[in-house]
Amino acid sequence: MTATLQPDLAERVGMDPAFNPSACMNCGICTAICPLGLRHLPREVFAYVVLGMEEEVLQHQEEVFSCLLCKLCEVSCPAGVHITENVRALRHYFDRNVFRLQGR
Amino acid sequence: MSERKIGVYVCQCGGNISDYVDVERVRQAVAEDPDVVVARTAMFTCSDATQDEIADDIKLDDLDGLVVASCSPKLHTFTFRGVARRAGLNPYRYTQVNLREQDSWAHTDDRLGATEKAIRLVRAGIARTRLLEPLDPTVVETVPRALVIGAGIAGLRAAIGLADIGLGVVLIEREAEVGGHVRELGTMYPHDRQGQELISELLGEVRRREGIALFTNAELVRKGGTFGNYEVDIRTRGDSNMTRRFEVGSIIVATGFDSYLPEEGEYGYGIPGVLTLPEFKKLVDASEGPLVYGDRPVRSVAYIYCVGSRQGESGPHQYCSRFCCTSAVHTDLELRAKAPKVHQYHLYRDMRTYGRYELLYNDSREKGSAYLKFAPDTPPEVQRRGDGQLEVRVHDQLASQEEVNLDVDLVVLVTGMVPRSNQELIQRLKLPVGRDGFFNEIHPKLRPVETVVDGVAICGACQFPKTAGESVASGLAAVSWSAAMLKQGRAELDPQVATVDPDLCTFCGVCMEACPYGAIGQQELGGSRQVAVIDPATCKGCGGCAPLCPEHAINVLGYTGREVEAMIESLAAGVA
Repeated sequence: MTATLQPDLAERVGMDPAFNPSACMNCGICTAICPLGLRHLPREVFAYVVLGMEEEVLQHQEEVFSCLLCKLCEVSCPAGVHITENVRALRHYFDRNVFRLQGR
Repeated sequence: MSERKIGVYVCQCGGNISDYVDVERVRQAVAEDPDVVVARTAMFTCSDATQDEIADDIKLDDLDGLVVASCSPKLHTFTFRGVARRAGLNPYRYTQVNLREQDSWAHTDDRLGATEKAIRLVRAGIARTRLLEPLDPTVVETVPRALVIGAGIAGLRAAIGLADIGLGVVLIEREAEVGGHVRELGTMYPHDRQGQELISELLGEVRRREGIALFTNAELVRKGGTFGNYEVDIRTRGDSNMTRRFEVGSIIVATGFDSYLPEEGEYGYGIPGVLTLPEFKKLVDASEGPLVYGDRPVRSVAYIYCVGSRQGESGPHQYCSRFCCTSAVHTDLELRAKAPKVHQYHLYRDMRTYGRYELLYNDSREKGSAYLKFAPDTPPEVQRRGDGQLEVRVHDQLASQEEVNLDVDLVVLVTGMVPRSNQELIQRLKLPVGRDGFFNEIHPKLRPVETVVDGVAICGACQFPKTAGESVASGLAAVSWSAAMLKQGRAELDPQVATVDPDLCTFCGVCMEACPYGAIGQQELGGSRQVAVIDPATCKGCGGCAPLCPEHAINVLGYTGREVEAMIESLAAGVA
C-alpha cells in the first residue's frame, strides 16, 4: 500500500515556530524511554507529519492524546527535538481538523 | 674461508619467543660455530641496555658481523643497523633473523621442533653474515625544483607552498584555465565562499611569485633522468606548440578526479528533470530567489544518495566518495535560503556528514527537510508519469516504515568522485594505481603522500575522494615532503640494489624487460660489446631481474647469489 503525501502537512500542523519534528535523526531513544510505552509517538507520527502522510497521522489520534507530556523523551533527545511542543501542536491540529473546535 | 668475527644475540622477546623456543639451547648450539666470537641471549634485545651491550661487544671484540635473532626484520632492521653504525660497524653487515613471526608464533604446539628450527634459522643468518661486504648509501645530488602536475586547488596551493619554502616550481595544467572543479563551484561549504573566488585568489598568489613557472594547455610528455635529477619534457598546445625541458628534484601529482556520470536510465538519468548533484548545484548557484527549471517553478526536490558510490560487488566504485552527503546537505541549505518554500526530500543509505559537517545536517533537518533511508537492495525508482510529473517510489526504512510515492519537480542524483582516466601519465611516471583506480600512497597513515616511485608524490582527489580542504592539506603535505628531500641538496638511498657483472653479461635484454622501475639500461663496453647497466638511484633492490639472468650476471647487494646459496645450504644441512 503506497501512501498519498500532502507536502504541506507539516506547515499546517506546526503553526508554532518551535515546531521541529524534522530535526529527529531516528535514534529511537524516545521510544525506548517512554514510561507509557507509546509505540508510534513521537518518532513515527513525527515522521508521518514530515513526509506529509496525513491518513497515518489521523490513525494515531489515541496515542497523540495519551502522551503525559512528562518530557522524559525530550530531555534525553540528542537531536534537540521539541517533542512536547510538537505533540501540543499535533493536538491543536486534531482539535481544528477532527473535532472542529474553534479558537486557535 | 675468511676469518670473521660475528656476534650473535638470541632474543627471548619477553616470552614471545622463549615460551616456545629454548633460546639458551640455540645460543649454545651456535656459540662454537666457526667465526662466532660472541653469543648471548637477552630478555629484550631491542632494549636500550642490550643495545648498549651489543655496541660494547662490537667495539671490544672488534666484531665485523652482527646477527640478532628476534622479531620480523620489518620491525627492527633499522634499530640494529643503528646499533652497528653507532659502534663503528658497517650497518649492512647486519642480519636480522626472524624467530618470532616465523618460528615461535607459528609453532606453539611443537617446542622441540621450534627450537630445532630456530637453530637452523640462526645458522642461516650467520652463513649470510659471513659473506656480507660493507656497503655505503648511494648519495644523489638533488635539484631544488619541483614539478606540480595539475593546477586545481591542491596543485595551486602546493605551488605557492613550494615557492615560499624556497624551491623552484614548474606548475602545469592540461586545461586552458587553472582551477579545475573548484573554479566551477559557486558557494562552497563550510565557509560559503565562491569557488571562483578561491581560485582567483590562489592564481594571484601564484603570479606574484617569480619562482613559479605556470604553463596551461600543458602536459608532461616524457620523464627521464634519475631520482633527484628528473628531466621532464613539458609540451604546450595552442598558439605556441612547443616542448620545454626542466630538471626537477620532485614531482607532485595533483590531477584530481572526474564526477561520476550516471548511465542512461540509472535512477531515471536522461529523463528531463533528473540531474546530477553538480548539475543541480550549478542551477542553484545561478538562481536568485525561486528556483526555475525549464520555465517551470521548482516546488519540490528529491535527492538520491550514493549514486555511483558504494556499489558493492556490482560495480567498480565500491568506495564511499565521502564529500557528497555534505555537499547535498549544503546545497539543500543554499536552496532553502533562496527559496524557503521548496520541499526537499533526501533519500539516503547512510548519512556521512562527518566531523563539523554534522552541523549542516542538523541544520537542514531542523529547518524542515525530510530524510528517508533506503536499503541498498531496494533502491528508489524514478519515473515520469503521463502528465509529465516525476515520481520517486521508495521504501522508507526509518520511522514511517512505509512505501511512499514522492511527486517532485526535480530529482537530484548525488553522484560521487571517480578516478580520472590518465593512462599516459600513469605510464610515464609508473604511478601505482589501486583497485579502485585512484593512485596509491606508500602508507595511509605514516607516508600519506609518497608513492613507491622515489621523488614522486600524490595529493588531492587523484588519491581518493577528498573535499577541497582535505586536498589542500595533502598538497601542503607534499610540499613539506619535497622540502625535506630537496632542501638538503642531497639524498641517501639504500645501497642494497642490483648490480651487473659486465664480464658475464651478454646483453640478452631479459632483465631490462623484467625491471618494473626502468632502472636497467644498455652500455657499450670496450669495442662493440653491449652490457646491461643498472642505475643504483632508480633500482629498488626488488631482485626481480637476478633470477632471470641466464648468465647469473646479476646480484642484489646484500642478497648475492653466494649469500643466498650459503643460507640455503645452512638451512638444509643434514636434511636428507
